[in-house]
Amino acid sequence: MKKILIVDDATTVRMYHRQLMESLGYHVEEAGNGVEALEKASQDTYDLFLVDINMPKMDGYTFIEEIRKTPAVKATPAIMISTEETESDRDKAYEAGANFYFIKPVRMEAIQTFTKLLTGGAE
Amino acid sequence: MVLKKAATVATATTSEKSAYGLQDWLRLIDSTSPEDRRLAARALAEFPVSAPALLNTLARESNIRVKGAILVSLQCIGGHRVLEGLLPFLRSDNAALRNGVIEILQGMPNEIGDYINDLLHDQDSDVRIFAIDILQTLAHPDSPTWLLDVILHDKHVNVVATAIDRLTEIGTPEMLPAMKSVLARFPNEPYIEFIVNLAIKRLSED
Repeated sequence: MKKILIVDDATTVRMYHRQLMESLGYHVEEAGNGVEALEKASQDTYDLFLVDINMPKMDGYTFIEEIRKTPAVKATPAIMISTEETESDRDKAYEAGANFYFIKPVRMEAIQTFTKLLTGGAE
Repeated sequence: MVLKKAATVATATTSEKSAYGLQDWLRLIDSTSPEDRRLAARALAEFPVSAPALLNTLARESNIRVKGAILVSLQCIGGHRVLEGLLPFLRSDNAALRNGVIEILQGMPNEIGDYINDLLHDQDSDVRIFAIDILQTLAHPDSPTWLLDVILHDKHVNVVATAIDRLTEIGTPEMLPAMKSVLARFPNEPYIEFIVNLAIKRLSED
């Protein structure tokens, strides 16, 4: 079973995305900020990161920049999900190394489609 | 008395550093050495008059450790002047800086209360979300009332969703009708439906 790490400081957002991903058959783990997520990423292998931008301790851009510099996880796909709506936010996400950028609230079908696309399915 | 200063603060002895005064630290906050700037930022916490200089430096500083030292010193200095100087950074393009400022503002409950209502009615929906983020750990008695007003009147789905997220923790059963009204205001929004139902469940258990 493939594994997804959800990185968001809002508990309800993590719960919502967990429900979506588990309904597709993925195993899900959670982190409340970029620092916690980096620690988890250094200890375990994930097939996808779902990352918020604004978080305490370490923001989502920095987290993705860090994983792109780390050989063991640099190829792991990352979807950034945020309330930030401007083109520059989207550009910064892609410059940091995100594979896709979604604006909240994300349509269920969209996030599920791109998750399958990036991971090749849950199994 | 003219004191001989080390080439950089980082290489100065403790007695040399103790001879540094406000003007020395204000000069060093513009040093080309990030370590000197960090040490200067830390030292300037002892000089409230340096707040404008720290805020100016924060706007142009690129080193994350220096930025962190400046924010901590500004928090130590505190007061309305510092808070008013920090608020514009909520509109910064730099996410790390924005989030650092939010964390500092969360630690200024006595001062931020006078400004939060304006922030919650800002034209920029992101600023309104950051205002709710500030309320996340701010122990202010008016927080539930402010958030209730947001879920009843704000038109932006993400602002309302963020407010509901906070109210699942600090809301009261009296807010249940307001929660239910959000479902009618934002039909066909699965995330709103999810968090409202979660909030209703939690508040009903209280």
